[in-house]
Formats: sequence, structure tokens, C-alpha cells
Amino acid sequence: MLLELHSVSRYFGGLQAVADLTMTVASGSIHGLIGPNGAGKSTVFNLITGVIPLTAGEILFKRERISGLRPSDICRRGVARTFQATALFREYTVLQNVLVGAHLLAAPGLVPALVWSGAYRERERRAHERGRTLLASLGLGAVASQVAGQLPHRDQKALALAMALATGAELVILDEPLAGLTDQEKAETTAVLRRLREQGITVLLVEHDMRAVMGVCDTVTVLDHGVRIAEGTPREIQTNAAVIEAYLGAEEPGA
Amino acid sequence: MSIELLVQALLNGFGLAMAYVLVALGLTLIFSILEIINFAHGEFYMLGGYVTYYVYALFGLNYFATLVLAIVTVGIAGVVAERLIFHDLRGRALNAFIVSLGLLWVMQAGAQLGFGVLDKPVPSAFSGVVRLFGLVMSVERMVVSLTAIVLIVGLYLFLRLSRPGRAMRAVAQDPDAAALQGVNIDAVSALGFGVGCALAGGAGGLLAPLFAVSPAMGALPVVKAFIIIIVGGMGSLPGAVLGGLLLGGVEGLGALFMGSAAVNILGFLMVIVVLLVRPRGLVGGA
Amino acid sequence: MGSSVERSAAAPAAGVALIAVAAAVLPLLTRDSYYLDVATTILMNLTLTMSFRLQVSTGQINMAHISFMGIGAYTSALLVTRVGLSFWATLWIGALVAALLAVPIGSVALRVSGPYYFLITFAFSEVVRLFFNNFFEGLFGGPSGLVGIPKPGRLLGLVFDSKLALYGLMAAISVVVVLALVRLDYSRFGLTAGAIRQADLVAETLGVNVFRYKLTTFVLGSFVAGLAGVFFAHFRQVLHSSDFGLEPMVLLVVFAVIGGTGSVWGPVVGTIVMTLASELLRELHHYEILVFGAVLILTMLFAPEGLVALPGAVRRFVRRPRRRAPAPTGAGLAP
Repeated sequence: MLLELHSVSRYFGGLQAVADLTMTVASGSIHGLIGPNGAGKSTVFNLITGVIPLTAGEILFKRERISGLRPSDICRRGVARTFQATALFREYTVLQNVLVGAHLLAAPGLVPALVWSGAYRERERRAHERGRTLLASLGLGAVASQVAGQLPHRDQKALALAMALATGAELVILDEPLAGLTDQEKAETTAVLRRLREQGITVLLVEHDMRAVMGVCDTVTVLDHGVRIAEGTPREIQTNAAVIEAYLGAEEPGA
Repeated sequence: MSIELLVQALLNGFGLAMAYVLVALGLTLIFSILEIINFAHGEFYMLGGYVTYYVYALFGLNYFATLVLAIVTVGIAGVVAERLIFHDLRGRALNAFIVSLGLLWVMQAGAQLGFGVLDKPVPSAFSGVVRLFGLVMSVERMVVSLTAIVLIVGLYLFLRLSRPGRAMRAVAQDPDAAALQGVNIDAVSALGFGVGCALAGGAGGLLAPLFAVSPAMGALPVVKAFIIIIVGGMGSLPGAVLGGLLLGGVEGLGALFMGSAAVNILGFLMVIVVLLVRPRGLVGGA
Repeated sequence: MGSSVERSAAAPAAGVALIAVAAAVLPLLTRDSYYLDVATTILMNLTLTMSFRLQVSTGQINMAHISFMGIGAYTSALLVTRVGLSFWATLWIGALVAALLAVPIGSVALRVSGPYYFLITFAFSEVVRLFFNNFFEGLFGGPSGLVGIPKPGRLLGLVFDSKLALYGLMAAISVVVVLALVRLDYSRFGLTAGAIRQADLVAETLGVNVFRYKLTTFVLGSFVAGLAGVFFAHFRQVLHSSDFGLEPMVLLVVFAVIGGTGSVWGPVVGTIVMTLASELLRELHHYEILVFGAVLILTMLFAPEGLVALPGAVRRFVRRPRRRAPAPTGAGLAP
């Protein structure tokens, strides 16, 4: 198990966003997190990546505690993420965005940057190479010099993924990677996710497109009002009575 | 150190606090509605002082009528400033800071050139002292405090009950939602800026008889205003009142133990403590 | 913003070289002590505005920057006049003391962000100024100021008595500072700083320890400010707490913002242009302030990105797509 959540809770004042959640993500899998709106999915992501603190419980990554660490340290351990509202460095070019993502792999200190040592230049050169390769593999090779804020939606989503991958993370957490994409673009993205799995990268995602989720995920966890109501393979989830009930009035799973 | 001495010190501190709260309220109103910090705020205070000097001290109009005139005049000046200079700077704090600085210098220099650099004394409209339970308070300061309180209550009612007031609160809370509901953001911004400046002008008129009028008279009140709204919480009316009382009390007590120059340091220390422990201010959260 | 190896090293190198050459050429053109004074002041302000801009590049508007100049200044003044140390030692000690004090002060200030950070640093700067003005008058001189600070002593046989020598010293210091800060800005360091300014949460989740980054720029900037402060103390030879208060700090902010904080060269342009402007206007007394204020307002309204961005804005304006009937074939306005 790559990622483990043990009895994780998060309260906002009196409001219970996540309650006593226990779930695990297996290494090398694509794991989906679904649930009706307001189920607490984004909160779970924020808890895992250290953006907000836990009220109770603990989170382990590779059997080591990451709950309570600051987000940059959690990223250092090998966890990266994207955001729901695509968050990029809008003034920077596409390549510059990816280079920021490569921070952990290229990070010099103050002195090497000041002195522009040979080692620093070599690390930067490699970061540039790696960045360009990454961009090409996600279909962004042609726009590497474009300003990120002016990219079309599909490219912005791809860039966010590229930035997360640039960190060299083993676990990539994607918040609605398919939102706002056409069917063709969604198919391309799910193909990318399968490629990542082949490379040994684990993916945890939140998505509202049920067909896509059931089509690409190995395991699915279902949340409702901050509580886990089901976990299993897509087929098991689609026929689960509690899940169907939770979605009644919203969406039908598998529709 | 008797209780009486302490209470007297507190009273002395409170005496002017309400007038500074007016200045603070003006500043925080502008901050809430336009999301900018107007560094030239003290200059509008100064403007109110000069209107009072020319109309009341020189011309001889009744003091309270002059006060009303000062408030209205400075309010109009504020609207003009907003329309000409500030309205495009919504949310751009650093640029607004520089612009308001420029305005400060323009108004300062303008005042020096137009009114002369010397202090101009303004006679007090009220004389005498009031004695109660062994405590002493000058009638003048009491009038200042009471008038300020009336204006604060008036502002509160305006924001709560009147249509433009409610529109201002809506914009302060969520400008996008307010726009969607048909609120004219431009008009509200201009009005808000005007009201904010008008409050400062009123405070200038109130304190003119106590401190004389000079081009640089706005510097100290605006600093106190900043301290008050940081301590009380930006965007909060009761917070400003509370902050004003706290500052007045701390400075009043502080004056017993250290020289008046060193007392100024207390306000800043309060700011640092508040910003560390409760950055939103005591009543903040708006 | 910096992008290390990708961008050529030519532009920054040329910029620094230009400044170094200009600084070297000036004394050949004039030995007039007034002009040397102005030039020395410009160079000193340059180190201050560029180090201020370093912090702004991470999104910090540090209103206490000038206080660290003051800390360096008073440290050196006291060590030289009371303890008898040499200026050449206190140059480093003053800057180090400023940097060391910047660690706790910065750590505290960075617990809040945005306008609150601005306000807390402003409050700190007033506390520091009031401290130097009202406490330990025996040491700091109180409201009358600290006088009798000597010029720098000999170094390697060279005497630093004259305006020219002091100018040379400040020029050497500034070139090194400019070089270092430009290098940083064009490196990964600058890339990361800009990322933090644009979206600090995203940077954090990508592995950037935002707090440590901001603190590093805070301490480094304060070191440079301390350095400038030590020079200031032995250049002016008199210190007063108002030299480190709101007015000079505001001027630094103005120089940096008018020049444009988006680019490492902005403060260079802003400092030179505004210092020259204020010298030219000095004769006008009250009108000087009036005009200065009007310049600020107009610049911010019509050139909000600062003077350094003007060429780009003009270029874009000239090249803007024109809504006209298509030109006859062959000739035409090629964009």
C-alpha cells in the first residue's frame, strides 16, 4: 500500500467535512475517489497534501507519516497534485511552469545559483531536457514558449499534469483532470493516465465523469458527506445499493 | 498611584479616541469597498480642519454648521478624487499605495502653498471643565467625543438602513455578487470614498480647535487610524470603536509612565502583537 | 523572469557591464563634489531599491527594509567611535548584524501575508525608529542625532578622505550587489521567487518551501541594506533616526515601483530617473513636492507596470492590429 489514511477526520467549526475515513491506495494503480457534490473529496486531497491540517487520524505514505508535514515536505516524499481550478503560473511560459515543478530535482541552494557553478548549470540543463521531454509526451511540445495564462483549457490541464509529474512524484493526485474537456480530449487524457500506470506512477483522482472513472480506475472509493460508503472495483461500485442511493437525484453511476 | 489617577489617565486617553475612530472608520470603509489603502486619508482630515478655520474662525459661522459644511465639502472632494484617480485601482494595492502617496504630496504641497505653512489657531467653541467623582474632563473634549459618537451612530444607521448604505455593504462583502444583483459598483465606490473622506474631514473639524490647523496635521491621526483598524479589525465598525478605546486607554495609561514621544511606541507594539496573535483584528473577519 | 540556462547570459551581463562602465566613466567627466555626491547617493539608493525588489519578487512588501539600513549604520557608527574598530571590519559586521536580526524579525513577520505583512513590517519599522530616537540617548544620540562619525580609514595604503574615493567605494559595492542580484534573478532562484509571487500555494505543493524562500530573501535583502547603512553612516558622518523612518522608506518604494518591480532592472531605472528628477526639482521647494506627487499619480495611471515596461508597451501599441480595409497586394503594413 502506497498511501494509507487511518481514521482521518476534518471538522470546520461544527461542520464535518471528512469523518473517520480509512482508505488505502495500492502502488501502481489508478484509484478513483467519487461522491456527490460536497462529499468532501477535495478536502481529502487537501488533507493528504498538507494544505489543511487533520482534526484527527493519520496519513501514511510508504509507511511513513506525512500528516502534519508542510506541503513542500510531502511533495519531497513523492506526492504531487493538481488543483480543481487549474492553478498555473500564468505569467510564465509553459516551459517555465514545468521548470518550477522540477524544483526538487534541480534545486540548488542560494550559493550555486549565485555563483552559477558548473554543477548548477548541469542540473539546469538536465531539468530543461527533462521538461521538454515531458511536455512533448503530453502534447505540449509546440507551445513550450507560450505564456501559460493564454493557453486553451485542454492545454492548461495538460500543463498542470506536467508540472506535477516534473516533481518526480510516485503518487500523483489529480483533482478533476477531465473537467471541461471534450470526449476526444478525455480519451487522450485517460490514455495518458494508463501510460503513467505502466511507468509505475500511482494515480489518485477525483472525477465526476462516471463513465471515464469506471473505465480507467482499478479501484474506486465512494464518499458521501465525508463518510466512506463503499470501496471496490468499478463493477462492484456500480451495483452497490448504498452508492446508487447516494447518487439518487444527482447522477447515476455508470450513466 | 491612586485609582483616581489611573481612571483620569484613561479618561484623558479616551477623550480624543472617538475622533480618531472617525478617521479610522473612513479609512476602513474605503478599504472595504475599494480594497485599497488610502495613504492620503490624513490630507482629507486636514482639509476639514482648514474649512473649519476659514468658515468658523475667520468668517464666524456657527461651529456645528461649519462642521456640517466641512463634512460635505470634504466628502465631495473625496468623490472627485475617486473618480479622477482611484477608481481603476480596485484591488491593486501597491499601485494604489503609490498613487495615494502622490495625492498626499500634491495635497500637502497645495496646502503649504495655498494656506501657508504656519499653524493657524482655531478658537474653542466651548470652555470650562466638568467635574464628576473627582475626575476632570474639559467641556470641549466632551463635545468632541459626543459629536463623534453621534456621527458614528449615524454612519452605522446609514450602513444598516439606507439603500446606498446597504449597497456599500454588499460591495464590501462580495463585489462580483453585488454587481450581479444590479448594484452600480462605480457609483458605490465613488460614494464610499466620499463618505470615508467626509468622516475624516469631520474629525478634522472636531479636533481643529484643540490642536490648531496646519498642513501636516493629518499625519498623526492617520497613523492612529491605522493602528485602530489593525487592532480592531479591517472592515469592522465595532472593531474600530473597540480599537479606538483600546488605543486611547493604552496611551492614556502609558503617558503616566513615559514621555509622550515614547508613548507612540505603544501603539505600534500593540499592532505587532495583534498581527501575530490575531491578524484579523479583535473583531475582524469581515 | 529567470529561466537559467535557457535564456542567454548575454542580456544580464550586458546590463551589469553598462552600469559598471557608466559608474567608472563618471569621475572622468566631472570632479565636482556636488555631482559626485548625487551619484554616490544614486548608487547607494540603487543597492537599497534592488534589495527591496528582491523581496517584492516573492510578493513581500517589506516596509522595515530601511530599518535594517539603520541597524547596520548605528552598529558600525558605535563600533568605530566607541570600540575603535576599523570601518573595513564594521562594513561586514554591520551587515551581518542586520542579517542576523532579520532572521527573528522576518520569521515573525512572515507568519502573516499580504496587507497584514505590509502593516506588521511598517509597525516594526516605527518601533525601530522610535527606539533609536527615544531610548539609550547616550548611545544613539536621541532626537539630536549621532555625530562625529569618521570617514573610512586607510585600506591597503589607500586613503578614503575625498568625495571621489567614497564614490569609488560605493561604486565598487554597488556593482557587486547589482551583479549578485541580477545573477540571482536570472537563475532558478529568481524563477522560484516569481512563482511564489504568482501562486504560492501551487509552488508549495510542487516542493518549494515558501516560508524558507521568503525568509532567505528577507535576510539577504537585509544584509544588503545593512551594508548600505554602514556606508551611509561614514559617508554622511551624522545619523538621525528620521534617516530610517517612513519618509526615506516610502521613497525607496516609489523608486522601485516607478521603475517597475516586475523586472530586476526596474529599480535601476526608477532610482536613477527619480533621483535626478528630485535634484532637478529641488530648486522649486514646495512645487517640488507638488510636481513629484503629480508624477507619481500620472505614472501609476498611465504606466502601471513601471517605466521599465514602457518600451514594451510602446512596442505593443505600435504593433497593434489595425482595423482597416486590407492593403493592396504587395505593399502593406507587415506587423
